[in-house]
Amino acid sequence: MNMKEFKGQVRKVTDALGIWVVLILLFLALSISTGKTFLQASNLINLVRQICVTCLVAVGATFVVCGGEIDLSSGEMAALAGCFSAMLMVRYGWSTWTSILVVLAVGTLFGILTGLVVTILNVPSFIATLGMMYVLEGIVLLLTRGTPINGLHEDYIAIGRGYVGPIPIPVIIVAVIILIGAFVFKFMKFGRNIQAVGENAVAAKLSGINVRMIKIAIFAVGGLLSAAGGVMLTARLSSGQPTAASDLSLQAMAGVFVGGNSATSSEHAMFNTLAGSLIIGMINNGMNLLEVNAYWQKVALGVIIISAIAMDAYRTQSLAKAS
Amino acid sequence: MEQENILELKGICKGFPGVKALDNVDFFVRKGEVLALAGENGAGKSTLMKILSGIYKKDSGSMTFNGAEVVVDSPKEAERLGLSIIHQELNVILGKSVAENIYIGRQPVKYGLIDWNRMYADADALFRHLNIPMDVKRVVRGLSIAQQQMIGIAKAVSFDAKLVIMDEPTSSLTDQETRVLFQIIRDLKSQNRSVIFITHRLDEIFEIADRVAVLRDGCSVGAKVVSETTKKELIAMMIGREMTKQFPPRDAKIGSELLRVENLSDGKKVKGVSFHVNRGEVLGFAGLVGAGRTETMRMVFGADHRRCGQIYLSGKEIRIHSPHDSVINKIAFVTEDRKGEGLLLSKKLRTNIVMVALDKIKKRGLLNMAMERDAAQKYVSELKVVTPSIQQKVMYLSGGNQQKVVVAKWLFSDSEVIILDEPTRGIDVGAKLEIYELINRLAAQGKAIIVVSSDMEEILGISDRILVMHEGRIAGEVKKEQFSAKLISEYAIGGTAL
Repeated sequence: MNMKEFKGQVRKVTDALGIWVVLILLFLALSISTGKTFLQASNLINLVRQICVTCLVAVGATFVVCGGEIDLSSGEMAALAGCFSAMLMVRYGWSTWTSILVVLAVGTLFGILTGLVVTILNVPSFIATLGMMYVLEGIVLLLTRGTPINGLHEDYIAIGRGYVGPIPIPVIIVAVIILIGAFVFKFMKFGRNIQAVGENAVAAKLSGINVRMIKIAIFAVGGLLSAAGGVMLTARLSSGQPTAASDLSLQAMAGVFVGGNSATSSEHAMFNTLAGSLIIGMINNGMNLLEVNAYWQKVALGVIIISAIAMDAYRTQSLAKAS
Repeated sequence: MEQENILELKGICKGFPGVKALDNVDFFVRKGEVLALAGENGAGKSTLMKILSGIYKKDSGSMTFNGAEVVVDSPKEAERLGLSIIHQELNVILGKSVAENIYIGRQPVKYGLIDWNRMYADADALFRHLNIPMDVKRVVRGLSIAQQQMIGIAKAVSFDAKLVIMDEPTSSLTDQETRVLFQIIRDLKSQNRSVIFITHRLDEIFEIADRVAVLRDGCSVGAKVVSETTKKELIAMMIGREMTKQFPPRDAKIGSELLRVENLSDGKKVKGVSFHVNRGEVLGFAGLVGAGRTETMRMVFGADHRRCGQIYLSGKEIRIHSPHDSVINKIAFVTEDRKGEGLLLSKKLRTNIVMVALDKIKKRGLLNMAMERDAAQKYVSELKVVTPSIQQKVMYLSGGNQQKVVVAKWLFSDSEVIILDEPTRGIDVGAKLEIYELINRLAAQGKAIIVVSSDMEEILGISDRILVMHEGRIAGEVKKEQFSAKLISEYAIGGTAL
């Protein structure tokens, strides 16, 4: 094999792997630079456990982004779901599972509401969800009067902190949700129609797809999974914190976009989001292990997010040129 | 006496990974002449133009412009030399004024500020010089495509372009607008400027060009003086073989009525349109651009709301309020804008083909990839789509093949009534014939076909019956035995002759 052929082969593999190349390189880099600490089972489990909440919300955001919209309200939706479920249990004595089901329904309903605002009132989703974010933030503060709610049930807390054998329960939940998401995108009409609407809503409409319904549905899924993320976060913190989820929307979105997703994403979207969330998790984890100053960590994270997208843009461009 | 050449190209080569786009192309343009550049899609016309305008770099070959050898390595350099290109996708900023569009990036400056008065005055003088009526202070949004092109031409002249390249300028113009454009081209010529005119329409070559150069598969096949050649010869040069027929023969077996539309109105552009189409029939819709043909079809399909009107399928009234209703009633609409409205460009061919009828590839409620693959492969071979595989993203297919994919997605959904809006726009001669043959085949299967077309020859060549629209109304019906371009034109401009 000569050099050119070899390059071609490498090219083929990296194209197929996409964002996973970055993930693998980062994994290798951290394994080497941190000595053995990064590769210790306890550290790896901790790493995945830390990204669970973001990743769960990010899966919802993937539905929204692939449908050509954006949701800035998912963090506050999560805060509302977490605090409200805590309130139902602690103040009103509801059972764990009823409380959770109720807040999941609330999340879905708020998502549908956002979808209606976007499709019926024709407010761009960036603005609609920005408004919704403040509305939800206000509701959370009104309900909680700004103070955390403690004294949650044990089985509720297990959602965030429990283990089945060596595997944390939140990791299992997120894995299942990602698989379901990937399955919907590849094998269900709903998933296909989301991708069609996201890429070209006009063409989708003229192909007989009910674009309005799809848009409302993606916001509903976004709301549902944000609420689920809120429950998981509250469980992990063992307390309903009104402000704990303040930048969750953006973290989740970072996972979606670092994974290389956009409105023209195809059926790999969910795994891209997983890769994106893992990359961000690994960067945070690695910098902690390397004892990087917390403020510098933020700077580094920002730079890395931009570089990841820039690399992806370069890759897509050169791919387009080659064809 | 031999006229001087403004541009000479010798041995131009350009390759892309896996393709030789241009192979040793020789080519020249004389001063003050209109040269038509013809060739099928993928023949290398666009690549050649992109090299001329500095967007691509040539691999080898030499280029002489205005007597001196030049290297054009950027669009800016091309403009400086006096070589201007007006792209198919017009480069105008819709929210800015006409004058700003012309002087963008080089606005006249006084005391460090933009000298608006001078900019407007200069722009105004420019349009006067070109005999184009234009309010230079108005924003571009809302101007017709033709008027936007005029801006491009004015901009070219403002650079004192000695050679203006127009890439398919007439593809979205009405006849009237095309006349105006041709007059401007003649004016440019009389100012001793040269024009390279790229077009798919052979008629236009004979009307406006002095010479025509033909490219095929990246090679120059030759150039002819227009007055010394024929359409037949040109087509043969373009496709590399004698084209015995421009339109396939039609042997129509017209059956019972399938679709009937009564008194369709939208309150604006369509006023009480009624018509019917039978099984096995190809119904042509002729008329000027803006006569309301597309609007009518979009309403029949449910893409736009109608104010009143009934739609009947096989005699029964059907409820059509969205494209979804049409899909259920097996009515298909192939839009005139296949890239913007017909395809998911970044998605695979197989994904596009099944997108309308996903239910057909379901097995136990889930999409089945094997069924999808089989469906895609079936239509790729049936419609002779040229593609490396069904995994190819449709953005990389040629115009003709993209159009076939759009048709395929409707065939896969078992459509019975197929509405095609300008089905061959921007498609080369060979692919056009294939689309016509496909239309014939579908009609022969008993489907009802409606074709909206602004191409007179095409509509006469493929229809069994033609309806002509004028200002939102059906101005006349022309039966096969009465077919004549004159009669249709008269109806189209509102003439009452019978």
